[in-house]
Amino acid sequence: MSILWRLLGKYRRGVILAVTLMTAFLLMSLQVRHDRAVVMFTREAILFAVSPVIKMAAMTVGGLSSVWQDYVDLRGLREENIRLQREAGILQRRISQLEEQALETQRLQGLLAMQETSQRNYLAARVVGKDATNWFKTILIDRGSQAGLRRNQPVVAPDGLVGRVVEVTPTSAKVQLITDPVSAAGGLIQRTRVTGIVSGNLGAGLKVRYLPLLADVVVGDEVVTSGMGGVFPKGIPLGRVIAVERRGGALFQEAVLAPKADLARLEEVLIVMGTETRDDIETEGARQP
Amino acid sequence: MRMFLLSLLACAAAQAVLLVPLSVGGVRPDCFLLLVLFLSPRLSPEVATLQGFGVGLCQDALSGGPLGLKAFTYSLLGFLTARLSHKLNTDKPLAQFWLLLVGAAGAGVVTFVLSCFFVGLSPLVSVLWLIVPEALYTAMLGFLLLRVSWVRAVITQST
Repeated sequence: MSILWRLLGKYRRGVILAVTLMTAFLLMSLQVRHDRAVVMFTREAILFAVSPVIKMAAMTVGGLSSVWQDYVDLRGLREENIRLQREAGILQRRISQLEEQALETQRLQGLLAMQETSQRNYLAARVVGKDATNWFKTILIDRGSQAGLRRNQPVVAPDGLVGRVVEVTPTSAKVQLITDPVSAAGGLIQRTRVTGIVSGNLGAGLKVRYLPLLADVVVGDEVVTSGMGGVFPKGIPLGRVIAVERRGGALFQEAVLAPKADLARLEEVLIVMGTETRDDIETEGARQP
Repeated sequence: MRMFLLSLLACAAAQAVLLVPLSVGGVRPDCFLLLVLFLSPRLSPEVATLQGFGVGLCQDALSGGPLGLKAFTYSLLGFLTARLSHKLNTDKPLAQFWLLLVGAAGAGVVTFVLSCFFVGLSPLVSVLWLIVPEALYTAMLGFLLLRVSWVRAVITQST
């Protein structure tokens, strides 16, 4: 035993590196095997600890940008014009505030109209942060399990599908966007009713894969969710076909889509509530004898 | 330790909120990577490995990727940077920029190789859209930050 300790002490650098790399690899492997309890706990614990800081940063940035705008507006003014320029500044800020309120009202009216025309229940949430890497596409929203959010609930904007909830803490949640490279949704070409799998396409919108070679797909076709897969309800707009790719020898053709929702500039989103998520179905199934 | 945790939280806030308006073509500089590259040369390889693991785990938790992806990359990067610190320690600005660029590109390549197991990204697209632009942008930001004296003071206090 003492020899073992001595060896460990002698090669401690290598041992620590090996153990650390193996732990990281094990964590990644657990997710592939859908053995997610440890991983989800770790993720949610870190997210729970860090999300208040991110929310605070988002609020601070909003406040500071307003202060900076004031500074820029007032800088370099002549002494005799201070009063007039202050008034102009105040009016300008009021106009900016009103314009901002008008834009917000317009966005919220869009969300409300969608809520009224649909039979589903929605919950509105604000986007407070973006993915911490450039490799994946997720957003952080300011609603969590306290507001009734659960994993796999669909998230939409007035224009179309945004993604699905992948992690939930009491006060915040992470949403995987449909443009994320590991995201997938059942898609339906609205004109011809051909189905395929819509997934993220790094740096270039969305792609519909597994479309039969003889299927009728042309540029301009609208694509909506097919409802297959048990996560996204049928009929939510996904995007418009901007290119069709047929490679020689391939068994399927692919279509490149421009997403309907402007995912780069999301400020508010709606979570589709009251739908039975895949987690519920799995839990229910596990309960049955 | 307290300074390290504060730096980590600051990186999280910067990455998720502050740097978003600076993104070019959807690519932002990687603050977490800079934290590892700045701190590791001042630490022992063991501590740098564990620190890289912690930073990577935090970034993984705030991203949509598999947990452990960045933890693996930064553990390796932390270890190598600390191990080679006596060779990498330089005050020459151009050398600092190149070292940051090589470190960031190396981290990008490791992330890509690991992602292949889980995501299946196209190599050409990844290199053109992510690894090269991210490495360049991160190296530029890191180079500018190293010119700021209080950033150097924070790095010294964090280690």
